[in-house]
Amino acid sequence: MSLADDVAAVRTGVALTDGDVTCVRVGGGDAHQLLDRVSPRPLFARQGQMVDTLLLDDAAKPLADLYICCDEDDFLLVAEGMTGDAIVEYLRGHAAGLDVAITDLTPTHGFLGLHGPYAWELLAEVTTPDIVGLSYLSFFHSGGLTCFRGGKTGEFGYDLMIERAQLAAARAQLVSIGARLELREISLAALELCQLEAGFFNVRREVRDGITPAELQLLWRTSSDRAYPGSAALAERRATPHPRIALIVGDEEFATDASITLDEEPVGGVLHAGKSYTRGGYIGVALLDRVVSHAGLVGFRAGAAAVRTVSSPAVNNRSLFVDPQRHTWATRDQATFPPLVRPHWS
Amino acid sequence: MRAELAATIAEREEILARLREMLIDRMRLQRSPDEIDQDAPLFGAGFGLDSLDAVELVVCLDTMFGVVIDDNALMRQQMRSLNTLVDLVLAHRQGHVARR
Repeated sequence: MSLADDVAAVRTGVALTDGDVTCVRVGGGDAHQLLDRVSPRPLFARQGQMVDTLLLDDAAKPLADLYICCDEDDFLLVAEGMTGDAIVEYLRGHAAGLDVAITDLTPTHGFLGLHGPYAWELLAEVTTPDIVGLSYLSFFHSGGLTCFRGGKTGEFGYDLMIERAQLAAARAQLVSIGARLELREISLAALELCQLEAGFFNVRREVRDGITPAELQLLWRTSSDRAYPGSAALAERRATPHPRIALIVGDEEFATDASITLDEEPVGGVLHAGKSYTRGGYIGVALLDRVVSHAGLVGFRAGAAAVRTVSSPAVNNRSLFVDPQRHTWATRDQATFPPLVRPHWS
Repeated sequence: MRAELAATIAEREEILARLREMLIDRMRLQRSPDEIDQDAPLFGAGFGLDSLDAVELVVCLDTMFGVVIDDNALMRQQMRSLNTLVDLVLAHRQGHVARR
């Protein structure tokens, strides 16, 4: 069992994780109004669709990385970064005068995650062949499970919400059927390395006091013409010079929180670092002075390690090229795919 | 700042500004330029571009920068964000990808 093999399973096969996410159900006549009030992104979603958004505090610091899922008259909130209890408390703090019912599903439901370019194939066997047509950021209910298609590795990714009483049996079924696809049970640490390689925001690792979506390149998940928690602080931050994150890579190891210099001048620090098993070498998210927060720049040092900035994602995801109508796990070696590492000029 | 580094930054910023202007004017993205984060996904959950927009983007890359993408795999991997598009334009200028 190694992290390298775990990452390889996500990049080229199928991997199973025990989900570290929480789910809260919001119902009642004013459910949409409440969620539109707290979401930095306008809440436009039809039945079965998911909106990826954030929950911010009043200083615009991200608290949760959140999917809001439209489930008939209710909404399911699937979150990382906050416990179910904390989300319920947060929502209740913004629900004065509204007709809403907020229920933490965490005590009754657990999550499993399936990731990888052939994750859909295993899921089709366990649920329904229709899973192949499930669009990104959509979900459906099947029997006792709810399947959310999201993922933060750049590969096919599904979060399965299952009643806790059925969780062990569902897990065993996935492991049993998944043996044909060499399903690998992997750790959250391996999944986070894949997330880092893909340049997806990691609310557990990359948030510090004073950081807002403006620094995190998450303005696309906010809006500037509506009020929500943190909107005033975010507008103020946008109006003043602020640093910005960039992906960095290097051959030598560097650590989270290492200082970054450019030509011996301090220009920032490392928010999150790890080994890139797909690329080789090391990778990190750095918060850099804005003027040098561009991809394609060389000459930085993270601690003592020489690093350069690269565009996100830092890998060439296999799932971009796997077509469920044409490819299968069994015939994967007969297909020709581009390399997992992007060209040297990119 | 070293002259070479300053020139690299200036060239990236020039391309980024033109791409942001194109997304707002030609593809009617309802965003201010600073909201179009350079590593944000252009398609799907990001700025919501679709397959028709991809065609428009290919045309714009040709007319604005002389970049012709006739390799489907290259197109998929380089049309993910503003930064990957900038990489493609620079690679074209430096002769790393085929010129017309």
